[in-house]
Amino acid sequence: MRILLISLAFVFLAACDRSEQPKPEAGTVQLSVWAHAGQASERRTIERQVQAFNQQQDAIQISMTFIPERSYNAQVQAAAIAGALPDLLEFDVPYLYNYAWQGHLLPLETLLPHSLQQDLLPSIIKQGTYQGHLYGVGTFDSGLALYARRSLLQKVNARIPLHPKQAWSVQEFEQLLDRLAVEDDDGAVLDLKLNYPDEWFSYAFSPVLQSAGGDLIDRSDYQTASGVLNGAASVTAMQHVQGWLTTGRVDPNVDDAAFVTGRVALSWAGHWEYRRYHEAFGDDLILVPLPDFGRGSRTGQGSWVWGISRHSAVPDKAAEVIAYLLRPAQILAMTEANGAVPATHTAIAQSPLYQPGGPLHLFVVQLAEGYAVPRPRTPAYPVISASFRQAFADIRDGLPVQQALDRAAAAIDEDIRDNRGYPSIAAP
Amino acid sequence: MPQRALISAGLLFALPALAGLLIFVAVPFLLSIGLSFTNLRLGSPLAPEFVGLTQFVRLFADDAFTRALLNNLLFTIVVVPVQTLLALGLALLLNQPLRGLALFRTLFFMPVVFPLALVSVVWILIYAPGPDGMLNSFLHLITLGHWVPRDFLHDPWLALPAIMLTSIWQGAGFQMVILLAGLQSIPEELYEAARIDGAGRWQRFWFITLPQLRNTLIFVMLVTTILTFRLFEQVQIMTRGGPRHATTTIMYEAVQAAFSRQQVAKGAAITVIFFLIVLLVTLLQRRLARQERL
Repeated sequence: MRILLISLAFVFLAACDRSEQPKPEAGTVQLSVWAHAGQASERRTIERQVQAFNQQQDAIQISMTFIPERSYNAQVQAAAIAGALPDLLEFDVPYLYNYAWQGHLLPLETLLPHSLQQDLLPSIIKQGTYQGHLYGVGTFDSGLALYARRSLLQKVNARIPLHPKQAWSVQEFEQLLDRLAVEDDDGAVLDLKLNYPDEWFSYAFSPVLQSAGGDLIDRSDYQTASGVLNGAASVTAMQHVQGWLTTGRVDPNVDDAAFVTGRVALSWAGHWEYRRYHEAFGDDLILVPLPDFGRGSRTGQGSWVWGISRHSAVPDKAAEVIAYLLRPAQILAMTEANGAVPATHTAIAQSPLYQPGGPLHLFVVQLAEGYAVPRPRTPAYPVISASFRQAFADIRDGLPVQQALDRAAAAIDEDIRDNRGYPSIAAP
Repeated sequence: MPQRALISAGLLFALPALAGLLIFVAVPFLLSIGLSFTNLRLGSPLAPEFVGLTQFVRLFADDAFTRALLNNLLFTIVVVPVQTLLALGLALLLNQPLRGLALFRTLFFMPVVFPLALVSVVWILIYAPGPDGMLNSFLHLITLGHWVPRDFLHDPWLALPAIMLTSIWQGAGFQMVILLAGLQSIPEELYEAARIDGAGRWQRFWFITLPQLRNTLIFVMLVTTILTFRLFEQVQIMTRGGPRHATTTIMYEAVQAAFSRQQVAKGAAITVIFFLIVLLVTLLQRRLARQERL
């Protein structure tokens, strides 16, 4: 009984505490914001940015909620059903098309200053656009390439491509793997980050299909994957990848340390690995574009972006926050924390890593010159990604490529049919 | 108290539990049945359509799902007896006066306390492929170099057994504790009497311990069976259903459908089948091994 009384007292006190929170001043707009709780450095940066924003002006006060990355989409879906979406929210860009289709997002092109939109990397606009409207803007983009050690490549007399148009052809790349394997203890010289979770596989290996002239889906109308995902170009490209996997050229990398411990010479990875790799190898570390499977090197792009809820009462205020986060100093603070590619040309020019001549400038070239391909801009993306990921796993385990991709294409087409082709019904 | 009042009092006391069952089991299950006849997609702005038995027809044509059924069956057939026997063995060992008994009991029980996610990650490292992997190098050592390193979690024949081993290691401690409690509730007089009658160790086990443990054993096997059908975390973390569906399970397929592909209707259809199977198994088991009322 005593315990019950004590706990009741606590509940009462807690309730009092809540009601005594300072009331916002008159004329101040309370803006609810959701962001993902990513790496600690990223989270600290956004907390600092919010604090600075709240202090430097009185008109808008941000109240921030962090949500774990893994359950982020589920939370957004639940909040949407309950009508409780925040004014401004961050989300991973492949979900953008889904949210826009469901009618949760407001187009941004009239809300953000024109000059700011002009300054954005073309890849940011491309991935944020669904059915002709811009629904999400990132303060950074991602980069995907091969990390290598210059000394090892020189040892086997490899040509070192500096620009995506000089990328190794797939034959050249495979000969290089063989030559590197001779120098290696176990012959596994390539790290494909096989230890990574689900979305990695679509992000990192759909460029393989696109470089060969294939794709995940026919992008003219996003109605069918058959003939594209399981077409000759895609199949041949994935047969190359299967070859690397089944001949033991790829390190399983269960400890995520294949590259830093020197077990492999090449690592197929994203911008987020730069700092760790650079710490291990210093200036011996170089970045080269992904191999060319016939139609030129292609790479992935896209990361977390900001969007405004359609039900926000103050979308103009939410847009002000986005514009604030896109100021060069704020972009650089964030990309300093997470290592990603700054989203505007102005910020890139001020970034020692990404400006021309910087060690990661290749990522900017890939994003700005059209070598990066956004993931398919359709609400069917969750199914596309899950199906391709399954196909990749099957291909890794030795299933004939044609059979694996046939199955994935059929699953995607079935889902699109089930959803009547994902007709656009939400008015922009 | 008159019979009527007794019944209504009983109902009153059962009310919280019944309400919980109704809200969290019965209603969602009825909803699942309803949803499984539609094409509902998570958060879709399109109105769901009635599609009849399409979802079920598709499921049984899908080799991932049929493989999941088979895997669940195999997993249960192997894990339930092996794990129960192992737990019984451990319980018998730990039921003896032994120096440092508390320490051993704690050690064997410890895996149960660890979250399954943690256990799975640790076992991924144990199963690491290549000659440097812990299990590979151990087998290399005890076979005097005859063992060829295997990639356990990507080998179509070894992946499911690998998950079984992890699960048994993780789960046996729980059953051990229950069986230990059962063992300690057996009256010492029975053993004493048996000894006077000249019964040996084996006879005492066979004619006293086992019959006295009957109810505990049945309970343990029933619970384990239901738990094995729920197999999910290890698969999600260690193999993601691979290689080529060799380790996929009904739960894994349901979660994949509903949350990864957002196909809620398909997920609902899978859980309906899952519920029917668990119901059937439970009824069957209760019929075959009826608990004795004491």
